[in-house]
Amino acid sequence: MSGLLDAPLAGQKRALRWGMVCAGGAALAAIGLLGVAGCFLVGAGVAGLAGPLAVAGFNYLLPSAAIRAAAITRTAGRYGERMLGHRAALFALAELRAQLFARVAQGALNGRDPGRSGAMAARFGRDVDLLEDAAIRRVARVGGWTGGLAGLAMVGLLGWGAAMVMALGMAAMRLVSHWLAARLPALQAQAGPAADIAVYDLAPQLAAALESSDMARAEHALARAEAVITASQTILASVIVALIAWSAQGGAPMLALGLLAAMAALEIWAGLAAHDARAPQVRQAEARLQAMESAQTPHPPALTSNPALHIAGRDFAPGARILLSGPSGIGKTRLLETLAGLREDAPQVLRVDGIDPRTLGLAGLRGTFAVMTQDAPLIAGSLADNLALARPGIDRAAMERALWVACAQDIVPLDQWLGGDGARLSGGQRRRVALARALLAGRPWLLLDEPSEGLDRETEALLCQRLKQWLDQTGTGLVLVSHRPAMAQLAAETVNSAFRPDAANRQ
Amino acid sequence: MRGRLVGEDMHLAIEAPVATRGYVARYLPLRLASGVSPLLVMLAAWPASHVAAAIMLATLAPFILGMVLAGTAAARRAQAQHQALARLSGLFIDRLRALPTILAFGAEERMTRHLGISARDAAQRTLSVLAVAFASGAILEFFAALSVALVAVYCGFSLLGLLPFPAPERLDLGRAFFVLALAPEFYLGLRRLAAAYHEKQTGEAALAAMDEALGVLPPLLPAIAPPRQWTGCGVVLTHREGARIGPLDWDWRGPGLHVVTGPTGSGKSSLLLALIGQVAVSEGQILADDGTFLPGSANPFIGWAGQAVALLPGTLRGNLAMGKADDGAMLAILNRMGLGAMLAARGGLDMVIDHRGSGLSGGERRRIGLARAILSGRSILLLDEPTADLDPATAETIRILLAEIAQSRMVIAATHDADLIAQAATQCPIDREIAR
Repeated sequence: MSGLLDAPLAGQKRALRWGMVCAGGAALAAIGLLGVAGCFLVGAGVAGLAGPLAVAGFNYLLPSAAIRAAAITRTAGRYGERMLGHRAALFALAELRAQLFARVAQGALNGRDPGRSGAMAARFGRDVDLLEDAAIRRVARVGGWTGGLAGLAMVGLLGWGAAMVMALGMAAMRLVSHWLAARLPALQAQAGPAADIAVYDLAPQLAAALESSDMARAEHALARAEAVITASQTILASVIVALIAWSAQGGAPMLALGLLAAMAALEIWAGLAAHDARAPQVRQAEARLQAMESAQTPHPPALTSNPALHIAGRDFAPGARILLSGPSGIGKTRLLETLAGLREDAPQVLRVDGIDPRTLGLAGLRGTFAVMTQDAPLIAGSLADNLALARPGIDRAAMERALWVACAQDIVPLDQWLGGDGARLSGGQRRRVALARALLAGRPWLLLDEPSEGLDRETEALLCQRLKQWLDQTGTGLVLVSHRPAMAQLAAETVNSAFRPDAANRQ
Repeated sequence: MRGRLVGEDMHLAIEAPVATRGYVARYLPLRLASGVSPLLVMLAAWPASHVAAAIMLATLAPFILGMVLAGTAAARRAQAQHQALARLSGLFIDRLRALPTILAFGAEERMTRHLGISARDAAQRTLSVLAVAFASGAILEFFAALSVALVAVYCGFSLLGLLPFPAPERLDLGRAFFVLALAPEFYLGLRRLAAAYHEKQTGEAALAAMDEALGVLPPLLPAIAPPRQWTGCGVVLTHREGARIGPLDWDWRGPGLHVVTGPTGSGKSSLLLALIGQVAVSEGQILADDGTFLPGSANPFIGWAGQAVALLPGTLRGNLAMGKADDGAMLAILNRMGLGAMLAARGGLDMVIDHRGSGLSGGERRRIGLARAILSGRSILLLDEPTADLDPATAETIRILLAEIAQSRMVIAATHDADLIAQAATQCPIDREIAR
């Protein structure tokens, strides 16, 4: 049923296969236990009535051994079915979560807004958990069918009439369960917005939305449906057993075997209905997850390893040092971030290696630019985790050097946990960590947005000096946004960030 | 300043209550039912066969013992599972939030691998909780099967007349069949209970986590009058991670502008946070109008503009109206701060703020945060770097605005801005050496 799960479950084949074997074994043992016990009991009763000779001829060793074996097999089988089924499901889901993240990342790279992190987290959490049901169901289904068919075969010993009753009854149980599940109200689609709200908790109207009863109603409807399905299955099962008893042919021991086997089989068969009520929810979750699938990336045109830039009517050779100037709010950040492929809304004419960065996208540009944005986002983890983001295979010595250049060598030890989004650091410290990270990326152009904000004048002067030295050594180009005169000295050329349509028209 | 991730709190607020659902809706009623149903079944079997009823009862004792043993092992694992799930949820949210940065450095594959490891760790912990639940289920299955087998064997041998001991009762086929049919039912309630056993584990772990979270809620402080004089003597601040800041002294008398100065990372923001009760004061004393000041107790009178301005999805008006200002006042202050052109271009106060901050620049966000604090009309303003991220001309207009406001309110600003420091009534310097 679940296409999403096929690939991750393929990695769990062993657990899945043995889980199915266990499920089948447990079902057979359960039916065998009751069937043999009934047969033994009635046979013993008949023999007891028939006199001492019959008693002496009655083989009680075999049935009693079979009963013990069935009891142990059923126990072991159930445990194996559950453990292996859940092992396969849980690890497949862990795999799926990682794959979904890769997918979201790919989508974002193609310019698709990944959406609010709260909603996304709900997808990764609750929706994936719902698929667990679908995965475990694969194993449980084997048990259900094995049990059902074995029960049918045992009832077949009571004659065609009884077998027909059993087969029709089993079909009726499935149909009723499906019919009841299909009648569930469509309210379920609304379940699940709460996560989004919680992320932006604060405003009272949002807190009020959390108390909304829609979700509770949907859950209640679901619980009621599950209860009705379970009850209907139990009632149907008893009716079927009664009908079998009425229509059966054959001796008393056979009747006992058939009836008890039917009871056990129908209990297992009813287990198939346990997932029916959740099935619509699972399908919805799967559809939501599948919607995250993104189109394949068209390969961006390859840029030269050290491309030239064109910004608002002016050309810059590799290694140039450019200041974007202008008053607050004129659009310097917008210009810088458009150049880097982080957004697309700067009005100026821009070219990277002769190509408009807006057509290249982040995927095409990220090999060229190392960016430090103003909000200097950090990931939850240690300082080293954050620096290691820059590129694969950075050693600690390189990290120390980059931190020294960024005047961040004394902030915290490399392995210090920084908390969520660098909660432990001050605004100025965060920017310098983000700066060190950008230095480590080893891209031909460095894009810095207010790198020295939050620094005192002495540190700023030191940063300026070390950064200049670093640029000289590496030959890296610089595009800088800064209001601070000291930093502005780093740049050799200045571009006015004010948008002048006439300059654009000349192109 | 917190050790936990936003996503972990979210997990606690959203998933933990959900995790208690199965516990309350299934486990608790089943526990009651499982206490009663075996007794009812035994009572029904008793008239037919005393011995069969006694066999059923006898297999119950070792079963209960097994369940108790499994239960004690389970609680710790369930707690570890809860933590692993919360951490995983926190990591996912964090990585999604930082996705643009991750993509810009081409690190998405490494992040995916790392998330895969965390997800597998959480799966392993869930599995170890389930192992206990299933083991207790297996114990139960075994005794259920044993009970059926013993009843069947007893009845069979009794009917054959082959019992190795004198028959305690006369059994006919009808009675024997009746007790055999009842034997599986004896354990049915308990088997259902065992099936809900991991809901008990996860539910109890979630309840414990929620209890703990509610336990650390700060007590509600009695509101005090807004202090006219706010002084600190030898105040030392301690972060949860152990970093110490101070000792610090200050004497702020309102109205007026007071600044907190010092090199970057020295703890200027921490002092502002300490005043609203977010960072612990470990030594020294803060006085408000000569009485001892409990950090956080003046919050209803404080207008706050921190370094990171929290903007909620909605309109700009909604974000500014956290105070009680009207449109005229909002527009007036935004225009004074030089945001008039930006407003005109983007729909005025109805400008939509989306979950990514609508592409506002750092300087714009900062000024919106500042405007919100001023518009709140509160008599004390705590401002963190109010003139950062701004060009010199705009910074100057902000300084003039702050000077005006400081005539009627107490304005406390953490800043590096030499010009702002120059116009302050007092300075509270935080030295890097002290902070170390």
